[in-house]
Amino acid sequence: MRLVIDEKRCKGCDLCTMVCPYRIFQPGKRPNMRGIVVPELDRPERCPNTRLQALYGRTLCGMCQMICPDQAISWQEERPGEKRKVAIEF
Amino acid sequence: MRADRLPHIFCSGCGNGTVLNCTLNAVDQMGWKKEETVFVSGIGCSSRAPGYILADSLHTTHGRALAFATGIKMAKPELHVVVLTGDGDLAAIGGNHFIHACRRNIDLSVVCMNNMIYGMTGGQVSPTTPRTALSTTTPYGSAEPAFDLCELAIAAGANYVSRWTSFHVKELTRAILAGLRIPGLSFIEALSQCPTNFGKRNKFRQAMDQVEYFKTHGILIEKVQRLREEGKDIPPDAIVLGEMIRRNRPAMGVRK
Amino acid sequence: MQGNVACAEGALAAGCSFFGGYPITPSTEIAEHMALKLPKAGGVFLQMEDEIGSIAAVIGASWTGARAMTATSGPGFSLMMENIGFAAMTETPCVIVNVQRGGPSTGQPTMSGQADMLQCRFGSHGDYSIIALSPESVQEMYELSVMAFNLADRFRVPVFLMADEIIGHLRERIEIPDSVQRVERRPLNQGDLPFHPGEDLVPGFPRFGSGFKVHVTGLTHDERGYPCTTNPKVHEELVKRLVEKVESKRHEIADYRVTNPDAERVFVTYGSPSRSVEQVIHDNPGEEIGHLRFRVVWPFPEDALREFKDAKAFFVPEQNLGQIAREIERHTSVPVIRLPRFGGSLHTPEELTSALGAFK
Repeated sequence: MRLVIDEKRCKGCDLCTMVCPYRIFQPGKRPNMRGIVVPELDRPERCPNTRLQALYGRTLCGMCQMICPDQAISWQEERPGEKRKVAIEF
Repeated sequence: MRADRLPHIFCSGCGNGTVLNCTLNAVDQMGWKKEETVFVSGIGCSSRAPGYILADSLHTTHGRALAFATGIKMAKPELHVVVLTGDGDLAAIGGNHFIHACRRNIDLSVVCMNNMIYGMTGGQVSPTTPRTALSTTTPYGSAEPAFDLCELAIAAGANYVSRWTSFHVKELTRAILAGLRIPGLSFIEALSQCPTNFGKRNKFRQAMDQVEYFKTHGILIEKVQRLREEGKDIPPDAIVLGEMIRRNRPAMGVRK
Repeated sequence: MQGNVACAEGALAAGCSFFGGYPITPSTEIAEHMALKLPKAGGVFLQMEDEIGSIAAVIGASWTGARAMTATSGPGFSLMMENIGFAAMTETPCVIVNVQRGGPSTGQPTMSGQADMLQCRFGSHGDYSIIALSPESVQEMYELSVMAFNLADRFRVPVFLMADEIIGHLRERIEIPDSVQRVERRPLNQGDLPFHPGEDLVPGFPRFGSGFKVHVTGLTHDERGYPCTTNPKVHEELVKRLVEKVESKRHEIADYRVTNPDAERVFVTYGSPSRSVEQVIHDNPGEEIGHLRFRVVWPFPEDALREFKDAKAFFVPEQNLGQIAREIERHTSVPVIRLPRFGGSLHTPEELTSALGAFK
């Protein structure tokens, strides 16, 4: 699973930066094509959903998705063969 | 959601989208079929929400959502009816329909996105605007005391009343879920931030600032009761949150 | 049977299963009779908190597929106006009975009037079209009540039964048929867009709960039902269609009664003044007095006027200052003589006869 922000929907309110317990969402710096400063993802592989959603069969935490007023945050299946980063926390 | 209609018209940082997420999540958890669920709304920012939901939806005239919903639910109790409304819609122009829907205790779930302002028309004072708050029609600060919608719903007879904010997404979802389950009218007030019209005039420059305010000033009803019993003061700017009432008055239009 | 009761009985015969109302003189008996009969017939009677709520509940109920109605009089009718526009915009079939009384404002609650005839046509803001019927007897209260439901479902418009206090409170013997004809609304075909106009400009009806997931809004909407408020073309198409779907069928909807089509002096009436005219014709068997009586007032059946080829004058007795007389003037070059009558009483036959005499 991969954490993604849909740039077409995001309006750059930065509410996700406030609620993420891992501080994955960081305020963006550059406006995108639509002139919206979309938050940047800091090591999104740390999000528990990217690893455990399939295992548990439900969305864990999910605060960012719930609070996102623009329905822009989701977890997407990776395509087979896609490279993935694995976060190892000690 | 109607994916072909996104992104929606809500401003950046508007809490209505969050409340909509919570409502849909709760409806999902209920397992209601799309075909059997009707969303009804009036006029205002909040009331645009049903237009983005993939289900039967009725976007009605200003303040009348509850009256329309009454007609739908009474004519066909098999349908699940959820009313999405705002503070101006519900408490000002639709105040009469609100108290009477509560009195009849019709089996509706009413989610009120209370942003304490008229957002769609550009930020005029609403019945829930806090005293002294600035708006375009109260440039010197609102002189009127605000409505407590939950108290109103309890007095009028709703079976379930609860208040949360757009910061408390999990609690809000749980409250809406409880409201959907309970027969009779359930009223869930969801305080939501309006960065464009309320926030910028009232010292919440970013959407986050007002959400932060909800987070820091929210106080659970249980704590309020405890403080009261102990004879201690309740902070005057506290936002009382939680489940205000859950009871079993006779209800109308309940699915058989 | 009383006129108001006949109206309620007609509605029940037509399969009305939802009544949302608010008591108001002189229409209250309709609500009372519905409250008595509807629950036993498996329907729902609701006394709402006001007329705004009543019409709202009726529109809501109509979207679940129910045949729904409300009944009111002048002040309540004024309150309903916004939602009547909503019904017109969202093409919601519903029946609104207005037992007219003297106005403006609270006026004469217990007296008769016909001064809401233009309000029912033009009362809500924006361009739209509706159908209005006007009964002249208790029998017609019954018949037109049935007809109102059929027209509402056929054209998906609010249909008004514009009675007046005299007819509402009149008691007459009536004939109730064993069964009445029903014209149902056409359901939406699977795969069609919810607001796609069919050949006759009336879209199929996507009842709530039947899986169409339709979004119904009072905003200007496209054929999908989605709001589209800034595109002038969409608005133009929608509004023109809302008007055209009724106005282009005015010949089909038209319903009037002609007496003595060769007469030179012709009374044009609707509602209770028709009864005085009938008395005038009855009292003067030797004289050629024409009578055109509208059962459908809106859309205005202007062709009916041409039935009287030799007409030298149209006499229009109304319980208002000439609301329909003005419409008649628009459609004819023959002089139109307004015979307004105020205060809630009916034109006397003598009064009408002397008006005829004055024209000679």
